[in-house]
Amino acid sequence: MKPKIFIIGAVVLLLLVVGFMIKDLFIDSPGNVNPYAFDLNSLRKGDTSQCMYSEDQQIKPAGSEIHGISTDASGNIYISGKDTLEKLDSTGKVAWIKAYPGNAECIHVDEKGNIFLGMEDHIELLDANGTKKAAWNSPSAEAVLTSIATSGKDVFVADAGNKLVYRYDYLGNIELKIGQKDPSTGVPGFIIPSPYFDLAMDPDGSLWVANTGRHELEKYTREGKLISSWGKASMEVKGFCGCCNPSHFAIFPGGFVTAEKAIERVKIYDMKGNFVCLVALPESFEEGTKGLDLAIGAQNAILVLDPVKNLVRKFIPKKKES
Amino acid sequence: MQDRRSFINLFVRGSFLTGLAFLSGALILRKKEGEFCGLDFGCNRCDKSESCNLPEASLYRETVWQLDPAKCIQCGRCATSCVMTPSAVKCTHVYAMCGYCDLCGGYLKPDTKNISTAAENQLCPTNAIKRKFVEEPFFEYEIDEALCIGCGKCVKGCSAFGNGSLQLQVRHNRCQNCNQCSIARVCPSDAYSRVPASKPYLLKGIEQDSTTAPKINLGEKGV
Amino acid sequence: MKTLRLLIFLVLLSTIQTSTYAIQRFPKPEFESGYTQPQTLMPHGRAEILSYLDVAVLIIALTFISWVIIRKRSRNWVFWTSMFSLAYFGFYREGCVCAIGSIQNVSLALFDSSYVIPVTVIAFFILPLVYTLLFGRTFCAGVCPFGAMQDLVAFRPQKLGTRLNAILGIIPYLYLGLAILYAATGTDFIICRYDPFVGIFRLNASFGMFFFAGTLLVSGIFIARPYCRFLCPYGVLLNWFSRFSRQHMTITPAHCIQCRLCENSCPYDAIEIPLTEKNPENRKTRVKKLIIIIFLLPLLTFTGGWTASLLHTSLAGVHSKVKLARQVLHPVKDEKQAETFEIQAYKSSGKPEAQVYQEALVVLERFKTGSWWVGSFMGLVFGLLIAGKMLKKYDPDYVPNKGRCFSCAKCVDYCPVKPEKN
Repeated sequence: MKPKIFIIGAVVLLLLVVGFMIKDLFIDSPGNVNPYAFDLNSLRKGDTSQCMYSEDQQIKPAGSEIHGISTDASGNIYISGKDTLEKLDSTGKVAWIKAYPGNAECIHVDEKGNIFLGMEDHIELLDANGTKKAAWNSPSAEAVLTSIATSGKDVFVADAGNKLVYRYDYLGNIELKIGQKDPSTGVPGFIIPSPYFDLAMDPDGSLWVANTGRHELEKYTREGKLISSWGKASMEVKGFCGCCNPSHFAIFPGGFVTAEKAIERVKIYDMKGNFVCLVALPESFEEGTKGLDLAIGAQNAILVLDPVKNLVRKFIPKKKES
Repeated sequence: MQDRRSFINLFVRGSFLTGLAFLSGALILRKKEGEFCGLDFGCNRCDKSESCNLPEASLYRETVWQLDPAKCIQCGRCATSCVMTPSAVKCTHVYAMCGYCDLCGGYLKPDTKNISTAAENQLCPTNAIKRKFVEEPFFEYEIDEALCIGCGKCVKGCSAFGNGSLQLQVRHNRCQNCNQCSIARVCPSDAYSRVPASKPYLLKGIEQDSTTAPKINLGEKGV
Repeated sequence: MKTLRLLIFLVLLSTIQTSTYAIQRFPKPEFESGYTQPQTLMPHGRAEILSYLDVAVLIIALTFISWVIIRKRSRNWVFWTSMFSLAYFGFYREGCVCAIGSIQNVSLALFDSSYVIPVTVIAFFILPLVYTLLFGRTFCAGVCPFGAMQDLVAFRPQKLGTRLNAILGIIPYLYLGLAILYAATGTDFIICRYDPFVGIFRLNASFGMFFFAGTLLVSGIFIARPYCRFLCPYGVLLNWFSRFSRQHMTITPAHCIQCRLCENSCPYDAIEIPLTEKNPENRKTRVKKLIIIIFLLPLLTFTGGWTASLLHTSLAGVHSKVKLARQVLHPVKDEKQAETFEIQAYKSSGKPEAQVYQEALVVLERFKTGSWWVGSFMGLVFGLLIAGKMLKKYDPDYVPNKGRCFSCAKCVDYCPVKPEKN
């Protein structure tokens, strides 16, 4: 009788194996637990009480891949991107749209309405109607031009590839290179780990440059002398997060507007670098959004270019609650 | 009776052999339909195969498993589903993309107050990333492959806060090259595929060395 | 001695291929301390030439074992050959790729033209079949590491009886049908997924895999070679091919003397009990049976196909695209985790919802056809098995069933007949 028990036992084990296979194949599903989860969402939660702005308007651009935004003296909005250039009035109504071949990573409009486009490695100059006037020589093969600003007869251009700021004249000649490391004058040198490198003019005529790797904004004279700097690295709302921030900034009367990647947030600091408030919380953007270019529109509205949602988003101060 | 049976046997044997010959011939000689040179799959004798100079053009190379970092969402299953313990998928540091940041999003926990190499500040669950001072303000980060379990935590940190130079890859010195990869089966983003053994790695956002393959910006192929 | 070892090490080192990636995407920091950026090492896997060596070893092993079984007729030699195969294909090659799994590669290659099947895998699929067609299942006896593994633990093999053998014997057909269905639709390689011994060969596996192997080995103490007999899908093909083999292992080297010594020697119940009467049934009953079979076969084939086609949505549920479509359609609401990883990945990929459904529908359609084929195949197999039971073959001697016999040569030692000398 004994062998029979063995047979039954062994057959049961065999059927157990088959049962295991069927269960595993048709019933089980891979668990949804990640023992090594890295929860970024908790970091992306912003404090709404610190947000003093609200979104007023979303403008859908004509181009499908937008990179740069700028405004002129009368509040008109200019948007550059891949193969398209457009001008909108301050309310977002289209003035004109132009097919413009190439990848215009950044745009700037000066007081006279001249349009400067940073075409990856060189600058192109356009008149107020968007007609090409000149294409300047590329400063070097490694150049990655990311920002343009003008002041009087000077054109300042940020080059993330060479980690330098150039001062051009209006004819496209480089007059000065700013920001080379120089211990004797205290210039620390720009640390630009990723291709985001912004600059803007201070109302007093000096130049602000985002030294992103140091999480600082640095103020230079027209001659390239370092005057001052502010900023500190922190995940907290008062600092700049990640490896290299702020990726973009703009200056408006009384302060700075900054935009960060990694934890996507737009903030306002006063001229001394003290945190004032949030403009847009990380939740307003898709996770992983990089390249939130900024511009100041009419009535000091803050215009944020969202390249992922492909929108220009207008933020205005919240009305005081009664 | 006996003769008839052996004749049937002979006939069936002959047809089985012919069948096998046809099957193997068809598998070896058939051509791939349509346009083909994404280099994503193995070379399968397209119309240009005679003039093609790519290493893939030689027929029927072995295949290996490849992880496309552009599709990866760092779900952690590479660490838990590999037949090997620890997993044959490891973090691979693409130095050429690294910013050598002091404040490294892949190395440090995000809420770290002061930047140091103390274990409690490290994001990696096995402390497999070694931080070395290069010069002010740059630091080199190196993956200790023996410690790395392929969880992708640092990958997530680096791509969120940094340049994305840390990427998960199947390390072929460790991969057993199973006929069916058990991670590929559970990968939620379908990031695994069989590729020719001559081109086993795929990195995101960087061009491959021109000596090993044509210059194709592999990073652009991803989503 | 030491220098020799160093030399070997250096030679080995030089053969390790590595490729590197060096082109900058974005200029790196300008280092002033003379720091040189290390290269990202990308070690290659096993050298390709070695997989051709595997095929060579396979051919040599198959030739040798066939010679041992047909000419040498020694259980000892068969055993040691199988131990070599266990060491090489099992513990050294760690079980991949094997002939059993290659069924799936071949199926996938036949149905998916974008899949390139390596020529070595074709060899692993074809060669054992060719040798079986010539010499019987010698592959099972001495080359397959799974067989060798199970032979080692078969301490107390029990006879299962014809009925149990027949019932359990259906499983491999079902396994084969499903394996081909899932491989051809690009769903999964289920043979590899439920590979019982690969974890042992690698000495590294999940708990589930070891449990699976352990259960099978324990049952293998009493049921000799349970995987080979009641699971192995490749065994189905070998079974068919072996029935028509040119030569086959015989129990006796000369003529059977009906001594019945070998009757209980086979642990796999593969020795046919002789039918002593020359014509046990009259002509009339035989014709009647034949007519029944002729009607039964198409009926069973159709019924099988129809039944399976009803199940095609459940069968297709294993496919990742169908799974995803179901999750998108009915989002799982979990208290802790709002979204599954599949949904997260789908969302980050930016694929439109309609495309997810469209892809799932294509898969479902393929499964509909596929399940008709698999079901019909199962029905046909069932019918043929019944037919085989109804029509017994006359043979007065003790002979191995050519389909089921693994040619392990265990019975050979029991035969007292000495070979005739010419």
